Amino acid sequence: MTADPIAAGAPVLHAQDVTMVFGGLVALNKVSLTLEQGQVAGLIGPNGAGKTTFFNCLTGLYTPTSGRVLLNGARLAGDPAKVTIAGVARTFQNIRLFPNMTVLENVLVGRHSRMKQDPVSTLLRLPAFHRGERAAKERARELLAFVGLTRAEDEVARNLPYGDQRRLEIARALATDPSVLLLDEPTAGMNPQETEATRQLILRIRETGVSVVVIEHDIKFIFGLCDKVSVLVQGELLVEGTPEVVRADPRVIEAYLGKPPEEIEADARTAAEEHDKGEQA
Amino acid sequence: MTTLLQQIANGIALGATIGLIALGYTMVYGIIQLINFAHGEVFMVGAFGGLAVHRWLLPEAWQGDWYISLPLMIVGGVVVAVTIALIMERFAYRPLRNAPRLAPLITALGVSIVLQEAIRIWFPNAESAQAYPKAFIDAQVDLGPVSISASKLLIIVVSVALSVGLQLYVTKSRMGRAMRATAQDRDTARLMGVNPDRVIVLTFLIGAALAGVAGVLYGVDITNVDNAIGFQNGIFAFTAAVLGGIGSLRGAVIGAFIIGLIKTLGGQYMPGGTQYDYVWIFVVLIFVLVFRPQGLFGEAERVRA
Amino acid sequence: MTTTTATVRSRPRITLAPTLAKPLAAAGGVLAVIAALLPWTTFVLFDNDEVNPSLQYFDAPFALSGYRLHTMLLGLAVLVVAFVPRIPGRARAQRALGFGIAAIGLISLIFLSYNGGGVGTVTAADGDAAFGAVVALVAGVLVVLSAIAAGITDIPDFPTRLPRLAAYGALVLAFAAILFLVAETLTAGGRSGVSNPYAGPTFLAFLGMAGGVLGALSGVGVVRWISALSERHRAFSIIILVLCALSLPLTSAGNAYWMTVATTIGVYAATAIGLNVVVGLAGLLDLGYVAFMGVGAFVAANLSGAATSKLGIELPFPVAALIAAILAGIVGAIVGSPTLRVRGDYLAIVTLAFGEIFTRSAQNDIGGLTGGSNAIPRIPDVELGGTAFNEEIQVGGLELPGGVLYYFMIVLVVGAVMAVFANLKNSRAGRAWIAIREDEDAARAMGIRTGKAKIMAFLVGATLAGLAGAIFAHKLTIASFDSFKFLESVTLLAAVILGGMGTIPGAVLGASLLFVLPEKLREFDDYRLLLFGLALILIMRFRPQGLVPDRVRRAELAGETATGKSIDEEEALVVEQEHDGPTGKKGGTA
Ligand SMILES: Nc1ncnc2c1ncn2[C@@H]1O[C@H](COP(=O)(O)OP(=O)(O)OP(=O)(O)O)[C@@H](O)[C@H]1O
Ligand SMILES: [Mg+2]
Repeated sequence: MTADPIAAGAPVLHAQDVTMVFGGLVALNKVSLTLEQGQVAGLIGPNGAGKTTFFNCLTGLYTPTSGRVLLNGARLAGDPAKVTIAGVARTFQNIRLFPNMTVLENVLVGRHSRMKQDPVSTLLRLPAFHRGERAAKERARELLAFVGLTRAEDEVARNLPYGDQRRLEIARALATDPSVLLLDEPTAGMNPQETEATRQLILRIRETGVSVVVIEHDIKFIFGLCDKVSVLVQGELLVEGTPEVVRADPRVIEAYLGKPPEEIEADARTAAEEHDKGEQA
Repeated sequence: MTTLLQQIANGIALGATIGLIALGYTMVYGIIQLINFAHGEVFMVGAFGGLAVHRWLLPEAWQGDWYISLPLMIVGGVVVAVTIALIMERFAYRPLRNAPRLAPLITALGVSIVLQEAIRIWFPNAESAQAYPKAFIDAQVDLGPVSISASKLLIIVVSVALSVGLQLYVTKSRMGRAMRATAQDRDTARLMGVNPDRVIVLTFLIGAALAGVAGVLYGVDITNVDNAIGFQNGIFAFTAAVLGGIGSLRGAVIGAFIIGLIKTLGGQYMPGGTQYDYVWIFVVLIFVLVFRPQGLFGEAERVRA
Repeated sequence: MTTTTATVRSRPRITLAPTLAKPLAAAGGVLAVIAALLPWTTFVLFDNDEVNPSLQYFDAPFALSGYRLHTMLLGLAVLVVAFVPRIPGRARAQRALGFGIAAIGLISLIFLSYNGGGVGTVTAADGDAAFGAVVALVAGVLVVLSAIAAGITDIPDFPTRLPRLAAYGALVLAFAAILFLVAETLTAGGRSGVSNPYAGPTFLAFLGMAGGVLGALSGVGVVRWISALSERHRAFSIIILVLCALSLPLTSAGNAYWMTVATTIGVYAATAIGLNVVVGLAGLLDLGYVAFMGVGAFVAANLSGAATSKLGIELPFPVAALIAAILAGIVGAIVGSPTLRVRGDYLAIVTLAFGEIFTRSAQNDIGGLTGGSNAIPRIPDVELGGTAFNEEIQVGGLELPGGVLYYFMIVLVVGAVMAVFANLKNSRAGRAWIAIREDEDAARAMGIRTGKAKIMAFLVGATLAGLAGAIFAHKLTIASFDSFKFLESVTLLAAVILGGMGTIPGAVLGASLLFVLPEKLREFDDYRLLLFGLALILIMRFRPQGLVPDRVRRAELAGETATGKSIDEEEALVVEQEHDGPTGKKGGTA
C-alpha cells in the first residue's frame, strides 16, 4: 500500500481551538492542528506544555473544555473506544500494554473493533469463528513482522525489553487499522540505534498511508523525521511550520531559554532522559 | 412531629457511633488504599474488651460507679482494639503491601471472619448475645419535645469531640502532616524523610482507638453485644466513608450522620418498616457511587495517561 | 524492578551442602518406612474402638492400610526419587513428598495427642512407647531438608507435540487417575460423624498424602505436561473428563450420600466458574455473587409447583431452569450496570450492597416469592420419563445409587459451563475482558466498549450462577435465603482464588475443597469458619496465585516471571550478585 496520490494533501485530522482547563490550570489554550493525508507531524515543547493532554483530548480520554476535533470532516465522539473505531489510534507516553497477555494477544486486542464474532459461533466453535480468528491472527502476525517482533510472539508483554514494548504498542495501535496514528514519545528511553530504527518504522508507517503525529523531546529526531512541526509552550501553540521554519524561529529559541539550536537539542535530550528516568522509577 | 424529631435524635446518635468507625475506614483507605474490611470487627472486639474489663478486672465495689468503671472500660476496649489492629497490620497486611489489590481485600475478609469466630468460640458464652453493663447515667434527657437517653447524648458528644480533635491533629501536627503527605504520594513522602511504615501503624492505631471507644459506648448504650455487631456497623461505617468521599475525615463523619438518619427515618417512614431500613442505606450507597463516585467530599479520580 | 530490589529484605534462607542431599533423603525415606511399622498411640483412645488397637501396636506387616500405608509408600517414593539417576526436577518432587510425610505425621500427632490428653499418647506412657507419628514428622522434615540441600531447580518441560494417539492415551490415563483420586478423596476416612472419630484426621492425612504425590508429579513436570496436552486437545479432554466424572458412581463413592455431596460440589463449581468470568477474566470483584444463584433458585422454586409457592405455576424443569438462568442473567446485568461509572474497590462495595439487599429482601419474603424465614420447601423432584431424580436406578445390570441422576445432570452442566468459559476466554470477548482487567484505559483506546463488555461479563456469570441455583433448589427440594448470604459469596470468591483465578481446574478444585472440607470435618464444625478465615489469610500471604495458577494470573499475583522463577528467587540472585563485590553486577534486571 502506498499513499493514494489523489487523497494526499487532503486534511485528515483537524483540531480546532482545543482548550482544556483543569481547575484553575489552563493546560491547553485554543490549540489547533491540521494533519494532511500521509503527513508526519511533530509536536514538541517543554515538560508540562500540554502535549499529552492534547493527545488525550484528540482521543476522547479527556473531554476538551471547548473546541472540536474533526476526522475526515466528521466530528469525533468524546469516547476513546469510538475514536479508535473511527480511525485514530495512539500509544502512551508511559507504556500501557496489557502486561500479562502475550505479544500476539496484545495485538489481537487491537483487532477487537475490526473483527466480528457472534456468540453462537464462538460458543459452538463454528467454522465462522475459526475463520475470523485465523484472519485476525494473520493480520496480527503481519504487524508483528512489520515492527520486527515476530520471534517474541509468545512472550508475555511485561517481560519484553523496553524498546520492544514501545514497538509492540505501535503494532497494537496499527492493528486497529487507523488512518491517524498518535505516538507519545515513541523513542523515550531508547539508545541511538533503536531511535533510528523507530524513525525508519514511522517512515514505513507513513508509506502505508497512515498519517502520524509524534510527540518527542528529541528535537533532532523530530526535525529529521517530520513534514511539519508544532511547538507547544504552556498550553499555547507557539509556532507551526516546516522543520526549517521552526528551527529558525526566534520565539522557539527564546522559549528554549535563548540558546542556539544545537544546545537546545542537547538540552532537550538530557531533559528527556531525566524525564524517562523519573518515569521508570 | 415528635416521632420525626425523636427519630432524628436516634439517627444522630447512631450516626455518631458509625462516624467513629468510619474515621478508621477512611484514614486507612486514604493512606494505603485498602478497604480494611476487618475494621468493623475491631469495633466489635473493642466492645468485648470493655466488657471483659467490667466482668473480670473491676472490683465489685467500683462496678456501680460509672465515672470509675466507664473510663476503665474504655481504656480496656481501646487497648484490645489497638492491639488487634496492630497485630493484623503487622502480620496480615504489611506483607502484602506490594501485592495486587485483590490480595489484601481478601485477607481483610479473612481477618474479619477470624475475629468474629475467635470471639464466638473463646469469649465465654459469646455464642449468644451478652448483656452489657449500663455503665453510665441511666436517665432520659428531655430536649424540648425529644427525649434522648444520657448514653446516646454521651456518644454524640464524644464522637463530635474526637472527630474535631482528629481533624485538628491531622491538619496541625507534624505527624498529621506526615500522614497527609503519605496519603498523597508514599514515595515522595519517603524521600522527604517520612517513614511510611510508622505513619501506617499510626493510622491503624488511631482508627482502632476510635473504634474501641465506639465499641464500649455502643455496648453501654444498647446494653447487649454479640459477635455480629462488627459486621453490620462496619458496613454502615464503610458506606458512610464512601458516601462522604473516602479519604476525607469530614466526609466520613457527615456521611455517618446521613447514614444514621436514613436508617432511623427509613425504618420509620418507608414501606416495610425496620425490616428494610438496612436496604435503604444500600440503595443510597449505590446511587451515590453511581452518580458521584468520589463521594460527597472526595476528589475525582484522575485518569492516568 | 531496580528500585524494589534495593529495599527488599532478603529472607533468611537455609543453606545446606549439596553433599548432604542423598544421605538426608536416605535417612528420611527409611525413617518414613520405619514410622509406618511403629505403634502410633500408647493406649486406646476411644471406648468401643475398633480401629485403635491397630494403632497401639503393630501386628500385621502385610495388612498395612490407611495413613500408615501412605507413609510407607511416600517413604519408598522418596528413596526411588532420590536414587534413580537422571530424574528431572528431583528436588521439587522430594520437597513435595517430604511435606506429604510431614503432614501425615503432624496431623496424626496433633489429633492423637489432643484426644489422648497429652503428648504421652504419641510418645511413651505407662510403659508403652508409640513414636510412629513423631518419627514420620522427623522423616518428612529430613526429606524436605534434603530437597533444600539438593537445590530447587526449574520445573522441566516435556514435549507436547505427540502423535495424537499417544496424547489421547496419556490424557485418558491422567483423567482416570484423577477420577480414582477424587473417589478416594471423597470417601477417605468414611462418612464423618459421631460414630467415626477418625474420619476427620484420616481425611486430612489423606489430603496430605495426595498433596505430596501431586506436588511431586508437578515437580517433575508431569502436571504441567498433562495440562499443556489437555490445552492442546481441549475438546477431547473435556469429553474424557466428563466421561470420567460420569463414572464416579461406579467407584467407592457410589452411594446416595456421596452422590449428594458430589452434586453439591458440582453446583458450587458451576457457580464458581461463572464467578471466574467476572473476577478472573474481567477483573471485577463481586462480593454479592451468590445472590444470582439465589435468584435462580427462587425462580425455579416458584415455577416448579412448590407447595407454598404463590404462583402455582408448574413448568417442566428444563423450562424453569432456563427461565431462572435468564432472569438471573438480567439481574446480573442490572447489578453490573454501575460498572459503567464505578471502578475497583467501589464496585466491590456496590456488589456487596446488591447482595445484602437481595438477602434482606428474601429474608422478608419480598412479594411473597421467597417464603421469608420459612423458605420455599417441598420443591418437586426433577423427573424424566417417570423416574424421579433422587431414586435409585438400574442401567442394564448396574445398580446406581439414589441421587445419581442429579449427579449426572450436574456433571453435564459443569461440563457445559466449562466449555462456555473456555470458549469465551479464547475469543474476542474473552480477550476484551482480560484487556479490561489489565488496563481499562488502554482497552478503551483499543476500541473496546468497556462498559458493554463489563456488563456482558456480569450477565454471563450471573446466568451460569442462576442455572446452578435452579439445580440446587431442586436437589435440596428447598430454597431458603439462608443459603445465599454474604458468607457464601466470600466462600465462592475464595474458591475461585484458592483454585487459581481465570482457570477452570482452579475453580473446580477450589469449590471442591471449600465445600467438601466442612462435610468431611464435622467434628471440627465449631472451628470451621475460624479455619476458613485463617486459610484465606494464609493463602493470600503464601500462594496468592492459587493452586492452579493461570499463566497470566500467576505472573501478576505472584510476581513470577515467565520462566517460572518467583521474584523471590530472582531477588536472591540479585542479592547474591550484589554481595559478589566489585566484579558482581550491581542492581536489578530492569
Ligand atoms: N487529569 C489532569 N488533571 C489535572 N491536571 C492535569 C491533568 N492532566 C494533565 N494535567 C496538567 O496539565 C499540564 C500538561 O500536562 P501534559 O502531561 O499534557 O504535559 P506534556 O507536555 O505531555 O509534558 P511531558 O513532556 O512531561 O510529557 C501539566 O501541568 C499537568 O499537571
Ligand atoms: Mg507528555
